[in-house]
Amino acid sequence: MNTFKWLLKREFWEHKGGFLWLPIIVGALMITLTVVSLGIAVSGVKGGMEINGVAVSSFADIVTPEERAAFASTIVANYTKLTMPIMIAFGICVFFFCLGALHDERKDRSVLFWKSLPVSDTETVLSKVAMAIGVAPLIALAAASVTAIITALLICAAAAIAGVNIFAEVLSDPATYLAPLQLVAMLPIYALWALPAIGWLLMVSAWARSKPLLWAIGVPLLTGALLSWANGMFRFDWNMAWFWKNIVGRLLGSILPGAWFSQQGQGLPVPGDASASAVLGPALSQSWQLLADANIWIGVAAGAAMIYAAIRLRGWREEG
Amino acid sequence: MSAVISAKGLTKRFGKTTAVDNISIDIPAGRIVGLIGPNGSGKTTALKAILGLTPFEGTLSVLGLDPRTQRDELMQQVCFIADVAILPRWLSVGNAVDFVAGVHPKFDRAKAERYLASTKLKPTMKVKEMSKGMVVQLHLALVMAIDAKLLVLDEPTLGLDILYRKQFYQHLLEEYFDENKTIIVTTHQVEEIEHILSDLMFIRDGKIVLSSTMDDVGTRFVEVMVPAEKADAARALKPIDERQVFGKSVMLFDGVPRETLAALGETRTPGIADIFVATMKGTYA
Repeated sequence: MNTFKWLLKREFWEHKGGFLWLPIIVGALMITLTVVSLGIAVSGVKGGMEINGVAVSSFADIVTPEERAAFASTIVANYTKLTMPIMIAFGICVFFFCLGALHDERKDRSVLFWKSLPVSDTETVLSKVAMAIGVAPLIALAAASVTAIITALLICAAAAIAGVNIFAEVLSDPATYLAPLQLVAMLPIYALWALPAIGWLLMVSAWARSKPLLWAIGVPLLTGALLSWANGMFRFDWNMAWFWKNIVGRLLGSILPGAWFSQQGQGLPVPGDASASAVLGPALSQSWQLLADANIWIGVAAGAAMIYAAIRLRGWREEG
Repeated sequence: MSAVISAKGLTKRFGKTTAVDNISIDIPAGRIVGLIGPNGSGKTTALKAILGLTPFEGTLSVLGLDPRTQRDELMQQVCFIADVAILPRWLSVGNAVDFVAGVHPKFDRAKAERYLASTKLKPTMKVKEMSKGMVVQLHLALVMAIDAKLLVLDEPTLGLDILYRKQFYQHLLEEYFDENKTIIVTTHQVEEIEHILSDLMFIRDGKIVLSSTMDDVGTRFVEVMVPAEKADAARALKPIDERQVFGKSVMLFDGVPRETLAALGETRTPGIADIFVATMKGTYA
């Protein structure tokens, strides 16, 4: 019996639309947009244009080798930006996945079917956690990597049509191939960082009789608002910025991939030169430095506690 | 043979209302028990307690296990259809068979597929595309292929037409049931299942008001068609129900010997539905 494997498959069957097709569609849209805008740009160049009063019909005439190299590395460096739309789509998807994971089955009463099988609440809830922080982000990263590589090749092709062949520079840049691995290497950090948000959403999902979205967002926001009000009213001198950032932010915002960069207060590392390894390398090491910080571990503990609560709640909550 | 289900003082309260009130029962193996009661009588709550789906007070042992703390082990041996149409809408027939085969050690895939082949269901068909009757066919195919010691059916045929209902119970009896299995079934369509039951339980306001084997029910309850001139003599024997048909009184007796009653008029064995109505008189009053 490989129950866990089947539980993951079951989640995949149910959420194929959000976790498989959505990243593919967003990627396909990005590629389409790239083709269209490149088409316009290339036809503009082919038609002949003037730069500083000199007519040029090909960029080859005016581009220096240094500029070529810089251009090539910019394309590779864009990797992070290219993955962003897919990662944002993924973040939204996971948010609603967690929110519905233990609520929808009670709402449509299918929980009675799942519970008629020899699968424990612990296995069920953990399979949903694994889906949210393991399987689903891997699929999203794969889609993002493929999109980024196709986009880079398209830009190279367009540049070649315009007379600048940078295929060699792009394809021989190790960063082109390293970037997907570097992103995957951030996955463990994402899993740990997102855990309080995953736990919170699953707990609300298991607990709320109706409108889990309202509870999940309303409770932290209202608590923050009330505390801020009391703070201002009675001059308690509480550090409300800390509350918003570490409680509200971690319960809701942590679910977005890369959210920890803004939490670290530095944003994405600014590259000295524009190559992908210069962006992703420091980003990766900056991410792993989080492990030295108590913040992430407190979040993991809180997330684990809320996941435990969700497991217990699934045991006793009746279908509603 | 030790009891499959043994309850002592089983009680479940929702706030101030008591849904299940101090029930004590023993159900041995190899029985088909009909648990019959009006709406809101506590049937479903009692079954949920047995299936470990709700906390309760009192002691309850199902196959020697406590449903509150040993639910995971219990579900290896127990299967249930809690209601019609609870299969998730996105699930396809093929996925459903794959999943149950993947997680249930006692699932016989070939058996499920054999049964499905006799229906109009196709592997790619999703639950949301099915009629209610087809959903139940799928659910039954899955459940029948599980070699469970206890099968609990809570209104398994609610809202189905008579063809599906007959087919459901026929398959259950022919393909599934044997002396090692126990089935508990609740339904409002009493007449349709009375011939398959071995035991009968009536539940009212959370209490078991009748618990008997079907053989005993046949000797215990007698219905007599009493002509007007013997009506008073018959009433002296305290019928539990009386109604008028064509100027004669039809009286239902509980525990009065059939020979005594034969002197008063034509006797016959009443249906469960008649006994049920007589027993539940005044429930909604």
